[in-house]
Amino acid sequence: MGDTEVKNRKVNRNKNKNEKNKEIPNPAVDPRDEGDGESTPEALPEELTEEPILKKSASPKKSEKKQRKAGSATAGQSLADLPTLAVTCHFNLLPMLLFGVALATRFYALDQPNSIVFDELHYGRYAGLYQKQTFFFDSHPPLGKQLLALAGYLGGFQGDFKFDKIGSSYNASVPVFAMRAVPALTGSLLIPLVYMIMLQLNYSQWTAALAGFLFLFDNALLTQSHYMLMEPIILFFAMSGVLCVLKFRALERSGNAQAHSYSLRWWGWLLSGSIFLTCALCVKYVGVYSYLLGLALVGHDFWEKVLGNLSLTKKQVFGHAVARFFAFFVVPLMVYIGVFYIHLTTLVNAGPHDSAMSSAFQASLEGGLSSIVRGQPLEVVHGSQVTLRHAHGSPCWLHSHAANYPVKYADKRGSSHQQQVTCYVAKDINNWWIVKRPNRTDLAVAAPLDRISHGEEIQLVHGITGRNLNSHNVAAPASPTKQEVSCYVDHNVSMPAQDVWRVEITNREEIGDVWHALESMVRLIHVNTSVALAFSGRMLPDWGHNQHEIVGDVMVNQPNTIFNVEEHRYTRNEDEKDRQLELMTTDFIPLEPVVMGFWEKFFELQIRMLFISNENVQNHMYTSSPWEWLVLTRGIAYWVSPDSNAQIHLLGNIFIWYSATIALAAYCSLLVFYLLRQRRQCFDIHEEAWNQFRTTGEVLLLGYVFHFLPYFFVDHTLFLHHYLPALAFKLLLNAALVEHLYYLTRLVFAKQFFNWMCVLIVLTWMSGILMVFNKFLPLCYGLGPMNATQILDLKLRETWDFIVHKP
Amino acid sequence: MTAPTLICSKNQENGLNIKKMKNSDSIGFKLLDQFRDGRNDKIWWRVFALLMIATVATRFYKLDQPDHVCWDEAHFGKYANFYINRTFFFDVHPPLGKMLIGLFGYLDGYNGSFHFDKPGDKFEEHQYMGMRIGCAVMGALLVPLSFLTVWEMTFSLPAATFGGLLILLDHGMLTLNRFILLDPPMLFFISAAIYSMVKFHNQRHRPFSLPWWSWLSSIGVMLSCSVAVKFVGIFVVIFVGCRTIADLWEILGDLSRPVSYTVKHFMARAICLIAMPTLLYMGIFYIHLAVLSNSGPGDGFYSSAFQVGLKGNYLHDGSTPRQVAYGALLTLKNAVTSGAYLHSHDHLYPEEIGGSQQQITTYAHKDDNNNWHVKRHNKLAPSWNSTRPIDFVRNGDLLRLEHFATGRNLHAHRSLAPITIKQFQVTGYGLDGVGDNNDIWRLEIEDGEEGQILETMLHRFRLIHYNLGCALTCTKKKLPAWGFEQDEVTCNPNRRDPNAIWNIEENIYPRLPNVSFRAYEKNFFQRFIESHVVLINGNSALKPKEGEATSKPWMWPINLRGQFFSGGQLQVYLLGNPIIWWGNLVFMVFYLILWVSVGVRTKRRITVTQREIMLQERALSACGWLWLGWLLHYLPFWGMSRVLYFHHYFPALLFSSMMSGILLDYVIESIPLSLPKNSFNASYAAILSATLLILFYRQVFFHWIFYLFSPLVYGLVRYADTNSTMHHLHWLSTWEF
Repeated sequence: MGDTEVKNRKVNRNKNKNEKNKEIPNPAVDPRDEGDGESTPEALPEELTEEPILKKSASPKKSEKKQRKAGSATAGQSLADLPTLAVTCHFNLLPMLLFGVALATRFYALDQPNSIVFDELHYGRYAGLYQKQTFFFDSHPPLGKQLLALAGYLGGFQGDFKFDKIGSSYNASVPVFAMRAVPALTGSLLIPLVYMIMLQLNYSQWTAALAGFLFLFDNALLTQSHYMLMEPIILFFAMSGVLCVLKFRALERSGNAQAHSYSLRWWGWLLSGSIFLTCALCVKYVGVYSYLLGLALVGHDFWEKVLGNLSLTKKQVFGHAVARFFAFFVVPLMVYIGVFYIHLTTLVNAGPHDSAMSSAFQASLEGGLSSIVRGQPLEVVHGSQVTLRHAHGSPCWLHSHAANYPVKYADKRGSSHQQQVTCYVAKDINNWWIVKRPNRTDLAVAAPLDRISHGEEIQLVHGITGRNLNSHNVAAPASPTKQEVSCYVDHNVSMPAQDVWRVEITNREEIGDVWHALESMVRLIHVNTSVALAFSGRMLPDWGHNQHEIVGDVMVNQPNTIFNVEEHRYTRNEDEKDRQLELMTTDFIPLEPVVMGFWEKFFELQIRMLFISNENVQNHMYTSSPWEWLVLTRGIAYWVSPDSNAQIHLLGNIFIWYSATIALAAYCSLLVFYLLRQRRQCFDIHEEAWNQFRTTGEVLLLGYVFHFLPYFFVDHTLFLHHYLPALAFKLLLNAALVEHLYYLTRLVFAKQFFNWMCVLIVLTWMSGILMVFNKFLPLCYGLGPMNATQILDLKLRETWDFIVHKP
Repeated sequence: MTAPTLICSKNQENGLNIKKMKNSDSIGFKLLDQFRDGRNDKIWWRVFALLMIATVATRFYKLDQPDHVCWDEAHFGKYANFYINRTFFFDVHPPLGKMLIGLFGYLDGYNGSFHFDKPGDKFEEHQYMGMRIGCAVMGALLVPLSFLTVWEMTFSLPAATFGGLLILLDHGMLTLNRFILLDPPMLFFISAAIYSMVKFHNQRHRPFSLPWWSWLSSIGVMLSCSVAVKFVGIFVVIFVGCRTIADLWEILGDLSRPVSYTVKHFMARAICLIAMPTLLYMGIFYIHLAVLSNSGPGDGFYSSAFQVGLKGNYLHDGSTPRQVAYGALLTLKNAVTSGAYLHSHDHLYPEEIGGSQQQITTYAHKDDNNNWHVKRHNKLAPSWNSTRPIDFVRNGDLLRLEHFATGRNLHAHRSLAPITIKQFQVTGYGLDGVGDNNDIWRLEIEDGEEGQILETMLHRFRLIHYNLGCALTCTKKKLPAWGFEQDEVTCNPNRRDPNAIWNIEENIYPRLPNVSFRAYEKNFFQRFIESHVVLINGNSALKPKEGEATSKPWMWPINLRGQFFSGGQLQVYLLGNPIIWWGNLVFMVFYLILWVSVGVRTKRRITVTQREIMLQERALSACGWLWLGWLLHYLPFWGMSRVLYFHHYFPALLFSSMMSGILLDYVIESIPLSLPKNSFNASYAAILSATLLILFYRQVFFHWIFYLFSPLVYGLVRYADTNSTMHHLHWLSTWEF
């Protein structure tokens, strides 16, 4: 890489020489001044040779601004005091160059390895399900997956590939290149984006290029951008959003903010900022931290610049508040709902994750539950064969099996030793129950139908074992304060069956008094003891096959006592053995398909995503904790070649990560130092420099804190790639600090020599980064073949667990 | 306690402002005027006395009921026993709270004879009241402390009264503070620390005076005590730290003083808030370790060298031979801090994780299943009665270890370990000591010479598997339920792993003389540090058990679900007073709104009356700190992966209740101000009297609500029918009483 870099420089120089003539009239055009309507200082080159002006100026605004520009240009210029490079460099070339290298690195061997890498397993599968329009459930919002799916669609993906396990090869039907191009492109666009962000924060183009350089040559960002993963997409949206918000701030803070208000650009930056930030949120919920950062910046400006501007009338202030409220609350909500609208209107077919949703939701999907329930009888009658689904929270069905409660529990309490009744999370033959009137013995359903209505008493017969659902005054296995529910077995211990239940339909207003399959929400109240059949949320130990506990609960009025009939058939045959056979072959009364509106679906999905899904990968081998991210203690193995030790391992460029951590500490110490000194009215640096330093803190340090601190308060399993959004801000901070340190050097040492030293140190540092990047490059692309020594050679830290499975 | 007049006169500006404000609006009733004014000594003391009487009445009423062990009394009572009997034990909390409970019991003449086996056991003739009274006294002191804290923060008697009342009338506080638990001392120390802090803050105009120093040291003492009761005390340390930084920031900004003045202030705080508390904290541990000088059930959690110092332990008493010989019965202890004993039991690894051989784990409790018989690899173990010369175990020997209870050999083979799948599985294999080649281990004493005899405790060694070349290691990962949540043991190809080092702790071999290892006893600092490592490991290992219902932090402030303290005939159910808890939430939101609106008004330079500014300043600055305190005591629980309980919210409740008191006063005072000016005179009296009526009714209301729920605290007789009075109190379906 080092060679190409030098070559690029040369090319750069030559090119610039050619362009010199064109560019000279306006040598230090700064992108932030574009279209500002103000003239750029013209005599810059002469000024540059002098020592920086250190005295504080109390001149009017215009000259102050001029000086600031001069200052920053000076910094950039002196950094670049290499003879030929000095004046000739045009700002536009740098980001183009960086972008070019980014595209080259991100797109290099993009379709290799041609097999599933890490979470492509999930995202690829979801993209496939989009092609098939099959519903799936994921706890992250869908935008990122939609983009992947779109790329897949354009690439001709039919969704026929089965994503079974990490490492299995793609076949020709999967447009690997097209799908991986989404993260690769967004990952490459990050680099010009950060370049512009740094310019927007008033840093020189060299610093901006340095930030781009850090992003470009970080192995973790490269690895992440090379496969179908969400982080590059979320980072792209987040950084675009931040950039737009910064542009918006620049308008707010410019001299004639009034004139800019409500202008097209004003609206443009504001709205695009909030839309981009919302998009980040729509890729993964962690994007909310970027959104909050944007909100904090805009809110802070509102507080200071609008509210604190006493020349504005109350009405004007109110108008500004409403505009911002619209941009930052209404628009995001619309975008968010829009993304889900696409999601829900696209995915109309039933699929593998249906059971996470309610019966009605499933019934609204093509071919899923609807294929089972289509045409099944609507009204529950004496002789109905039903499955009873726990209607709220995690899905499970009332279940029993031929096993009894243990005589004694581990805590030495006794049980009734009758047949277990549980709530089982899978569909199973043992979930069938037959509804029966207490006074009737025949079970076959015949006309006229004996409908069951609200308030009537029934018995429930377990389909396979033929025992009745029973409850009695015995403590439940896992919740001793509740009552045990069993299938009655007569042990001859003078414990009579108490197996009559009263049906209470909770949504009678909508459905009516008659018990309907699917739609009626019922409570079963035990007639003898007035307890309700309830799901307790606890799990039974091994003897209960770790199924969920079912109890009789005194507290009737709670969601855990509500069940609904999901599958439903009429009993046709009196003979017990024939009943099984009969289940398949009855002809059913047709039922109208369930139609569920978008909003109902949307809210149900929201609730399930936000509150119910907390599947936790415990004891994953590559988990890490937030503290470890600071020093890169652990990576994540993404993929390993079946033939050699070639592998993909998510690992940052350790040189960058360590310097960024040090830079973070240095920035914080400097900040504390300046604050303490200023408290004593000692101003060590120029006001412009301080303002720049402070703004950096407001945007970058705050951004870092927002994206990092919350991880200390979550209890789900964490991986290294969760750190990347925070890392992005940290890298920017690192670049910013380099310029600030350079400024400090010039402030302290008058001699040119030290400036040179600084540049030299930075260049050395950069070449070090390049070397480390190059060393770990095979782990990004999975280049091989590699033998064990080559892999172990990369193991700089004891805690990095590379996979060595071949000699 | 300093008399209120004294404080006011010392605090010039505050006093003056209050005076100005109060004089402007007299309402006519002399008593109420004086109450609102609060500077009248007589009234102040009367209110205080009333509050104290009510406190004593509620806290000590039926304190002996229920006369059986309630909830965690089973733990803390037991620990008190250990202190009284001076027996060493292990608990996840630091010692001060338990020491205090032990002390209360001791003063009452309790002799540690009751076993506290499980909740529900009757105390019968045992002296348990001393401990209950001790805890109740500490809990009762919360009321005057909150009263005084609010007083010091605002110098408003109504606010202080409300603050005190809200603590007084909360059932949760009451229930929690009546039993033998760690919470009463902890809450006491926390609120004492806060009180000292505001008191110290009010001394800021006469720095380095005697009261200044004494309140500063008082903060330090209370801080170290709260940490020494439970580690959550660390949050109040952070709280005080924030306040201290803010104070120092103020001092630094005073340009009339040199920087050295700030440094002086900083040094004073460093001494009183860092150095002294640290010493005190260590002192508490010193007492803890000095008192618990007898061997007990907690020994096994600590290293062998730690145990030497415990009377009755075989290492202390010299009931263990120094050298290890073949045929001896050994226990092996993992030599890292908080390492446990090599253990096996008559249970197999589950089928699905490779081979149904017997489990090998580590286990921290002392148990017969920790005993291993050491044999040469090719011989049977010599009998203890044999007369042949003693065959010592030497460095480099090949040996087998036979599990004494089950007769299986310690065995490793080329299968994946159950959790750390990069390492090899270790099992128990063979029958009555007959196994195969994979049972052979080589002894490698750390820094040992070839042929050196292995010595009990003193030598740290590795066991290297003869065939695989891996080292016997405890990975410190918990096995799932099938392994009884003991720690996993593997054979680790990385032989340098620090967890692969073991030592011999118990060594039974009658043919060798027993010696004592007292010369190798650890000194206090080593014991202090080891105690902490063990405590912290123990704390983070408190994970919710599978299927166990855990309380989630979001449920706490809304008082969603309480906690059973006692079942049976006399139920006690920990539940907050819903009116207070929900009111607290309302006031917290109200504070935020107030804060923003005041901010906007300041920013827009909207002028308000002097009195309003005065009121706002009083309420806002005090409430800001209390809000921060609440946040610091509540938010961290969101990030904790250990098992959480409802009662963890109570320190935060202290803050939010005090804040509600202040804001209630603010609301009552500022309602008349918000009326238009022209109708001011006419409506003023009406508004005030209405306010006072509300105020009065509110008190009545509090009492009524308090009365309604009081059976929860004092124990309610389990109701049989749904018509019982308690049935109407099921305001939320999640309340389980």
